[in-house]
Amino acid sequence: MSLLKIENLRIELTTRDGIAPVIDDLSLELGAGETLSFVGESGCGKSMTALGIMGLLPDKIGRIASGTILFDGEDLTQASDARLREIRGNDISMIFQEPMTSLNPVYTIGEQIAEVLRRHQNLSTAAAWAKAIDLLDAVRIPNPKARVNDYPHQMSGGQRQRVMIAIALACEPKILIADEPTTALDVTVQAQIFDLLRDLGRQTGTAIILITHDMGAVAEMAERMIVMYAGRKAEDGPVDQIIEHPRHPYTKGLISCVPHLMASLSNDRPELVEVPGIVPSLKSFGRDECLFASRCDRADEKCRTQRPPEMSFENNQNSACWQAGDL
Amino acid sequence: MREETNNSAELLNVENLTVRFPVKRGGFLSRKAYLYAVDDISFSIKRGETLAIVGESGSGKTTAALAVARLVNAFKGKVQLGEHNFLELQDEALRKARAKVQFIFQDPYASLNPRLRAEAIVREPLDSLGIASPQEQQVRVNELFKSVGLRPEQQRLFPHQFSGGQRQRIGIARALSTQPELIICDEPVSALDVAVQAQILNLLRRLQSEMGLTYLFISHDLGVVQHMCDSVAVMYMGKIVEHASRKDLFNNPLHPYTSALLSAVPSVDKKRRAETKRILIPGDPPDPIDPPKGCRFANRCPVARSICKEKEPPLRALSSTHKVACHLVDEKAKSPLL
Amino acid sequence: MSLNQEPIDVARSPFSEAMEMFRKNHAAVAGLVILILIVLGGIFGPFIYQGDPFEMVWAPFSPPGEEGYLLGTDYLGRDLVSMILHGARVSIAIGVSAAFLTVFIGITVGALAGYYKGWVEEILMRVTEFFQVLPTLLFSMVIVALFGASLPMITLAIGLVSWPAVARITRSEFLRIRELEYVMAARASGVRNWKLIFKVILPNALPPIIVQAALMVGSAILFEAGLSFLGLTDPNVVSWGQIIGSNRQYILDASYTVTIPGVAIFITVLAISLVGDGLNDALNPKLRQR
Repeated sequence: MSLLKIENLRIELTTRDGIAPVIDDLSLELGAGETLSFVGESGCGKSMTALGIMGLLPDKIGRIASGTILFDGEDLTQASDARLREIRGNDISMIFQEPMTSLNPVYTIGEQIAEVLRRHQNLSTAAAWAKAIDLLDAVRIPNPKARVNDYPHQMSGGQRQRVMIAIALACEPKILIADEPTTALDVTVQAQIFDLLRDLGRQTGTAIILITHDMGAVAEMAERMIVMYAGRKAEDGPVDQIIEHPRHPYTKGLISCVPHLMASLSNDRPELVEVPGIVPSLKSFGRDECLFASRCDRADEKCRTQRPPEMSFENNQNSACWQAGDL
Repeated sequence: MREETNNSAELLNVENLTVRFPVKRGGFLSRKAYLYAVDDISFSIKRGETLAIVGESGSGKTTAALAVARLVNAFKGKVQLGEHNFLELQDEALRKARAKVQFIFQDPYASLNPRLRAEAIVREPLDSLGIASPQEQQVRVNELFKSVGLRPEQQRLFPHQFSGGQRQRIGIARALSTQPELIICDEPVSALDVAVQAQILNLLRRLQSEMGLTYLFISHDLGVVQHMCDSVAVMYMGKIVEHASRKDLFNNPLHPYTSALLSAVPSVDKKRRAETKRILIPGDPPDPIDPPKGCRFANRCPVARSICKEKEPPLRALSSTHKVACHLVDEKAKSPLL
Repeated sequence: MSLNQEPIDVARSPFSEAMEMFRKNHAAVAGLVILILIVLGGIFGPFIYQGDPFEMVWAPFSPPGEEGYLLGTDYLGRDLVSMILHGARVSIAIGVSAAFLTVFIGITVGALAGYYKGWVEEILMRVTEFFQVLPTLLFSMVIVALFGASLPMITLAIGLVSWPAVARITRSEFLRIRELEYVMAARASGVRNWKLIFKVILPNALPPIIVQAALMVGSAILFEAGLSFLGLTDPNVVSWGQIIGSNRQYILDASYTVTIPGVAIFITVLAISLVGDGLNDALNPKLRQR
């Protein structure tokens, strides 16, 4: 049985212009120890999925309209607030993009890690403190015995993100959701963080959901990926296979619109492939059509009038495009 | 594409540029300390080419760009643009000379005055420098909107009515309005969504080949730099550690920091992933206010020796297109890491 | 709004968007309507309801509604309606002109300090702090006592004690905005200093200053009332505070003589606060929008 199984999830957001399905009919499965990546531009529903799983949708504005989120067999959409609080931090934890603002500046990092341990695991103060030092060591902060007394402002961005990872891993969660964890960091620090996440995932068997816009990071980190577009799954499947042979024009665009460093440096530099336009506004999210059609050079009448069904290919690669077979 | 010509084609020549900021250290009655954000760097750009300055946060790349444009004051150095030293110009002469150097900013949400219509933003440099009559200005604005891919009826709109990519196009049109000799692009796409980045990068390259523009391109993204530049300067803690042609730098990085930087970039290319050994550099850069006396990278360098902590390596030319500041690079031009 | 997918290509300035938000704020609109009525009453009232506010028209302490005098008469037998209408003129005139003075000094000092920084800022901010720590009531009493209790002097006194707040807001906005990239872009385009200050930075710094100025009108009216209550006022003009001040001994016998001008002040200041709050809501999010 998979650790996390989402079926036909629909999350609705109330906006000024009415109700918009920011997540529309999303299904996925995540096994223990696996790394799954969500890719897409901003406004495509990557982060919303994460908040939905965590039960952290914005109050009154967002709600799960239908579908199930089965975590270890338990449906989180039906769980009480108290139960969700218990799961958050304990079984599923999350790290965010901004390491500068996600730590409380008035407490030392040791106090912040120990607090999580006391709350979720009922450890004594001394035991929690000792474990906080162990965790800092695990996330490769040098000299953890001294650094545990530091305040967040005394650490660099990369170190703070490592502290966030230490807090997220404090209770040995089964799933770690990382929402753009390295976007605010330098590339050499990003390499350190990825390295750390990979090793920790291997050691503890924690499954990782990595949310990112960087195809390179996906290729580096994940085994499977889901490409999201306008709240819908555009394509999913094994990472290497999708990069080799994308079956959705949006995926293709996302891969080739970025100038990547390749094994050999090309001398002629052709124009980058452009994906014209921008992600449609929430107003058009629910329509019965392919929402990518307005930006797609292959779009025809059918794309503009009917929502494409999911088509399956080998190794469980699926694409929601009418022309997926021809791509 | 572009031919190598002799040195007389150099448009911009920067020598010994240094920028320092006073910092408060140790509270009350402390001695005055300085942070050398840019510490004695020299580089040049040929007309019609692109020099990229890459580096991580705190490397001083943006400060260097701002100093070249006289948007922060340099402590010393020379910025030779055509016949004048840009750093020596004062008041009215400086104001007039600003037409020659224009800037494209990183954040398209902060770089446009929210109270001005798009056309007024593009016209601002012409207005303030007294270039052309109002009618001619309008003609110029119309042309600029067309060449950056905006529709004429969008001229009347205000910045908040545009998307990020469109705003960046307005910023580009503004930079082009004075027909500058040098355009400085400070991370022009890093605040944009990936799909929009391609649109802007293509636009910048197209404008360059159509108008023969010269770019100083500041970026932390090596993929983008590789796509845009003719030559690259790598900065670390205020110093240029390696300065080379595009081909030399990406095919044969010599400074250990450059090698580490290149190896850290995640790639979609399976072959590159298999071939590249990731060089992890541990720790963080040292305190920039009180930098170590030897090589500034020595405390994180995987191959550092005792000389590296004693003596600062000068930027040495190993060939006409490749300079590097590392003690351990021998004349055979092999990276000490490989 | 309909599900119209075409982008709206109508130019909408930040100002017009703010006004639309203001219109949607019912409390603020109500405050504005009340304020307009009060101002109109102050301007045209004395022409419509003729009568000298200093003239004794009837027996003193005639309660409201009796003997044909809508709000009754005060301790000298003067018509309260006439006094309130004339008083509105003075109170609002003082409120508005003191607020203008405050904003003028505050913006000048704050803008110069925030734009030039360095020793200019040091000096100007020390001066600002000096005025800020003065005991306001005492200082204005000294001014009025020294230079006479004329309306311009009272306005000046109020202006001199209130400008530091505006100066501080202006300075902090300038410090923030001068580092934004569009200001850099203007500098890179050769825009002159004075134009940077007044045409580029100031318009973007205005929203919180406008809000502060609106609230300043209210506090200036209260301040004037306080001075008048203490008798530090021009005896030849009527203001609401002065009506309260001159009738204060009879507060137990004829409470309406104090209550009515008090209510007038209360309603006016409340209306101004509502408008100020509405402006705050309307102007802030638009300019912080991303």
